Amino acid sequence: MINLDNNRFKHLWNRFKGNPIEWDLGEYKALLEKVNTCELGDLSERELKDISSRLREEARQGKSLDELLPEAYALVRETAERTVGLRPFDVQVMAGMAMHRGRLIEMNTGEGKTLAAVFPAYLNALTGKGVHIHTFNDYLARRDAAWMGPIYTFLGLSVGCIQQGMTPQERKKAYSSDITYTTAKEAGFDFLRDQLCYNAEDLVHRDFNFALMDEADSILIDEARVPLVIAGTTGKPKGDTSQMAELVRGLREGADFETDDGRRNVYLTDRGLERIEAILGLGSLHDPENLDALTKLNQALHAESLIHHDIDYIVRNGKVEIVDEFTGRVVEDRHWPDGLQAAVEAKEKLVSGSGGSVLGSITLQHFLKLYPKLCGMTATARPSAEELKEFYGLTVAVIPPNRPCIRRDEPDLVFTHKEAKTKTLITEIGRVHAAGRPILVGTASVEESEELTAALKKAGITCQVLNAKNDELEAGIVARAGELGAVTISTNMAGRGTDIKLGGEDGQDRDQVVGLGGMYVIGTNRHESLRIDQQLQGRAGRQGDPGTSRFFVSLEDYLIERYGILNLLPKKYHDLKQETPILDSLVNREIERGQRIIEGQNFEIRKTLWEYSSLMEKQRDLIQRRRCEILSDGSLLEQLSHQAPEQYAELASRLGEPRLQEVERLTTLFHIDRCWAEHLAQVSDIRESIHLVSVGGNAPINEFHKLVSAAFLELDQKIDEEVLHTFEGLKFTGNDLDLDEAGIRGPSSTWTYLISDNTFGSWVGLLQGTNIGFTAVAAGYLGPLYVLLGLLRRRRLRRNNPLEQSETQDKSDTQ
Amino acid sequence: MLDSIRNIFSIPDLRRRVLFTLALLAVYRIGAQIPNPGISASALAELWESQKGTILGMVDLFTGRSMSRMTIFALGIMPYISASIILQLLQVVWPYLERLSKEGEMGRKKITQFTRYGTLGICIIQSAGIASLLQSLRSPVSNAPIVPNPGIGFVMMTILTLTTGTVFIMWLGEQISERGIGNGISLIIFAGIVVDFPRAALSMIQGLRTGDQTPLRVIFLVALMLAVIAVIVFVERGQRRLPVSYAKRVVGRKIYGGQSTHLPLRVNTGGVIPIIFAASVITIPMTVAQMVNVPFLQNIAQQFSPGMPMYFLFYVAAIIFFTYFYVSIIFNPTDVADNLRKYGGFIPGIRPGKNTSDYIDSVLSRLTLVGALYLAAVAAVPEILISGLRVDTLPVIGPFLDQNLPDWFTQGMGLQFYFGGTSLLIVVGVAMDTLQQIEAQLVMRHYDGFMRRSRLKGRRG
Repeated sequence: MINLDNNRFKHLWNRFKGNPIEWDLGEYKALLEKVNTCELGDLSERELKDISSRLREEARQGKSLDELLPEAYALVRETAERTVGLRPFDVQVMAGMAMHRGRLIEMNTGEGKTLAAVFPAYLNALTGKGVHIHTFNDYLARRDAAWMGPIYTFLGLSVGCIQQGMTPQERKKAYSSDITYTTAKEAGFDFLRDQLCYNAEDLVHRDFNFALMDEADSILIDEARVPLVIAGTTGKPKGDTSQMAELVRGLREGADFETDDGRRNVYLTDRGLERIEAILGLGSLHDPENLDALTKLNQALHAESLIHHDIDYIVRNGKVEIVDEFTGRVVEDRHWPDGLQAAVEAKEKLVSGSGGSVLGSITLQHFLKLYPKLCGMTATARPSAEELKEFYGLTVAVIPPNRPCIRRDEPDLVFTHKEAKTKTLITEIGRVHAAGRPILVGTASVEESEELTAALKKAGITCQVLNAKNDELEAGIVARAGELGAVTISTNMAGRGTDIKLGGEDGQDRDQVVGLGGMYVIGTNRHESLRIDQQLQGRAGRQGDPGTSRFFVSLEDYLIERYGILNLLPKKYHDLKQETPILDSLVNREIERGQRIIEGQNFEIRKTLWEYSSLMEKQRDLIQRRRCEILSDGSLLEQLSHQAPEQYAELASRLGEPRLQEVERLTTLFHIDRCWAEHLAQVSDIRESIHLVSVGGNAPINEFHKLVSAAFLELDQKIDEEVLHTFEGLKFTGNDLDLDEAGIRGPSSTWTYLISDNTFGSWVGLLQGTNIGFTAVAAGYLGPLYVLLGLLRRRRLRRNNPLEQSETQDKSDTQ
Repeated sequence: MLDSIRNIFSIPDLRRRVLFTLALLAVYRIGAQIPNPGISASALAELWESQKGTILGMVDLFTGRSMSRMTIFALGIMPYISASIILQLLQVVWPYLERLSKEGEMGRKKITQFTRYGTLGICIIQSAGIASLLQSLRSPVSNAPIVPNPGIGFVMMTILTLTTGTVFIMWLGEQISERGIGNGISLIIFAGIVVDFPRAALSMIQGLRTGDQTPLRVIFLVALMLAVIAVIVFVERGQRRLPVSYAKRVVGRKIYGGQSTHLPLRVNTGGVIPIIFAASVITIPMTVAQMVNVPFLQNIAQQFSPGMPMYFLFYVAAIIFFTYFYVSIIFNPTDVADNLRKYGGFIPGIRPGKNTSDYIDSVLSRLTLVGALYLAAVAAVPEILISGLRVDTLPVIGPFLDQNLPDWFTQGMGLQFYFGGTSLLIVVGVAMDTLQQIEAQLVMRHYDGFMRRSRLKGRRG
């Protein structure tokens, strides 16, 4: 095969360059021969089932899975054909092999990854230790479990799936299945909730064994920027936030407040501050006694200017519901932290819920590392292969397509302003729709999808809209999106994993749609990463079908504005306004470069998060292990009997030893959790300001380690003290100790927090790092050059500083 | 002390890193002993003797005395540092590189690669220059040529050895940074400087034996040395901590055990750089005098040779000037104030923006005066001890002072080694930095104790 030799060369070339990509599939091809020699086609159902139970028996007796692989894969292949009517292609079987080897496989969109995943899942579930398949979203977990379920059940394995809003009992049942379909986030949050359990039987997870991540690049890269944080009730937030919400509503961006690059932070200008101070009449807001008011003001400002209605959240049933940035879906029980939730609720004039504090946290990176064996699949892994190797130790294996993709990806049409873009967009949709070709339009937000729907309606084009507000209709809309004449407007809900069948669900008009050129996918925006763009394009041209994709971009798009991509373009485009697209390939190239810069920034955020959270993960692990031991066997505790033997003896005689041990167990668990939550609050306080130490010439990460470790070491003693203290205060109600009165109980409800880690980057105030030798030599050897560098950098900083710019603008305004 | 060393070696990962670093530094020092072939060592030594007090002395220090002995590491790490600085400069002026630097890991890797190629280029040019220069030089004493057998062969070979040497050092440095502990480049420079120390100690002991030194003097000198190091450590750690509040969160806000958030302003923000600038400037007269043979200039240069009052006056003044100059380059109170404001921080009682930056500026100016005087003292004191302060050259009061001040002050202690302020600051600075990194790693060790101390029967064993 010519193709193979070519891949082998690519493989060697990548090895030489140190690129962690595997192109050489020779090993899997050899295995495939073995799989193909297993002739199972003539066997009866009974006989197939018998083989499966024999394989399970052998796996449980410790036979290596590698040895079982050929037979197991042949079995899955045969069963898939008989139960779900799909005969897996050779490439799918090979993909399954690569995943069993712990690779992250890259297969084109629409090549049937869901089916490929069944192979390693079945093989690794044979041991009975559980397999988790992490899907991209809830809908896909449900769909895949239902779709692939018959294969597993036929072969005698149980399947479960985790959905939002499930009770702990339902979750426990699903996790005890041989194969569990869930999202990585749900699994992670369940893991965190398990750490707050008071009884061993309430734990929903088993020990982790094997995880297979669908859309792995999204889980491992895009979502890894946001740590999983679980919070619990600690009472009402104090004070009224509606006044501040009202106050900031009158402020103007640019004049009264400013945002920084990437719109991650917002701050008042001097003028804005003076206005607010005049209204509030509290004197200077930066006096220590006004800290509370200032905090609320900052939060109200953040809620007003950085969190957008129908983009970041929707309001439904009088509640603020957060829309997930990546999946485009509403996430139940997710809040913003630190009073920000209350501020957003005040902005929407809603009744505020209760405040809470962080009870536990883990990053997705660390959570996934808890699985002894990890593998994944996606259509877009190559651009991030190095990061995947560095952080997760995953090698990307590229699986060739079964049939070459014939989709045409048209070059972007770039417009100078939004109106021109929308106008052309609607003309284009009308033109293509007239012929009856199905169209999928991917928009950036709920808001945009609704605006476009309204505009199309005005133009007389009927369309379906799929966004966070009607997610219950998802399956129906997706099923009909490939029909003749369908126009579907979607947010990134349809961005990944969605499989649109040409000519409708049962393909009645398939030939006609193919004749028209297949699916036409339009993106109304470029996304933060090229990978997400490619996923949207991948909704067309699946399994060798024809298809077309095109992006419509305007220089006023949110992405372009937020990251200042305009500055990358030649000056002549800055103030240009024209109705026709800009015909300059340079613009397209620069927008792509802008995406790479954003990827670079996001990489920094993940890297920083990783560095800081690694230490916390060690601590979390220690606390959790200690907690687990107590949870599984409370009789191990002997602290009380040692520290206060008299009291212990007295209580033991009244309550009996077993009950007393239970009380001690519950009390200890309670205080471990509480002290840990306090510790987390303290750590996030340290984290917030630790970058300041770089001014003093210290590395922030080292200082962070020092402070956080010191705090952690005190924790141990603090827990002991608190337990003893509680015991001294315990009162009898009837014949039993009253734990409720002492406040010994778990959180009444838990939810998750949306915390995006703020990176401070390199401290701009200092040119010199901590690299003394380097700077000394540079100064001594290159003296004037070194000074020049310092001066140039300063000038550059000043020029890029938005604050300075705005101040000069303000001056010219007033003149 | 012993305890911490034991701690270092009880953590496998840390032990591996420390041993790796030491091994690589040893390799570096071994390489620094291998002379470049084709050079007459005695003629070279005589030549260097005549270059004392010029800028070359400092450059030689940075190469760990490899340059004066023309070893295969004669170029030291300097070409790499030149390449880095040039690339950083280009990043400011060349948009392509600036964008590349922002494209995350991939971009940074590319820039690192460019830096390596740049190093290679600079090495080739410099070694070619050095080779041809050496061919044209003769010893000022014996008039023997430095290169007995000149020719294209010698030039080619020198280019090869010196370039390979520097690229190898660069590789060592990168390996230390990546797999060892501390910053590789800094540690290599550190290693080059501290090797002077045993040699100096040896010469002192020899001085005792021959009677050139009295035991009292040696004790005094050692004590003084330790005192200077102690002062350096003390001042380098000195900070003025301005309190900072963050008004971003409502719940969970507590002041934890008095450890509140602060902005640490260093007493000596500029580090060793001001001294280095001053030292380079003060060597200019000598360097010029070496190059041109004009009696008038020679006389001026004489006034600026170590030990002369004019030398000290200018040295101290230059240090104070450069301290302020350098701090003003690297520390911009406006940037700091803006940064604070962006992330919701402020100094309690002071408005963000201009008020804050003015406040930081005024505190920093006062601190920097202390820092500047300290730097001047650290630079001047060892020099006085080495070469003395030649007050007799002063007009009018000169002879009087000369007679009434002790000999060791006016004539110096006649010590043969150079362990001046620059070297001390670099050595102490690098050592403190490396220790800090080790300390951060040591923190992990304590965790092992956490489970052990938990009161569980099962763990008691």
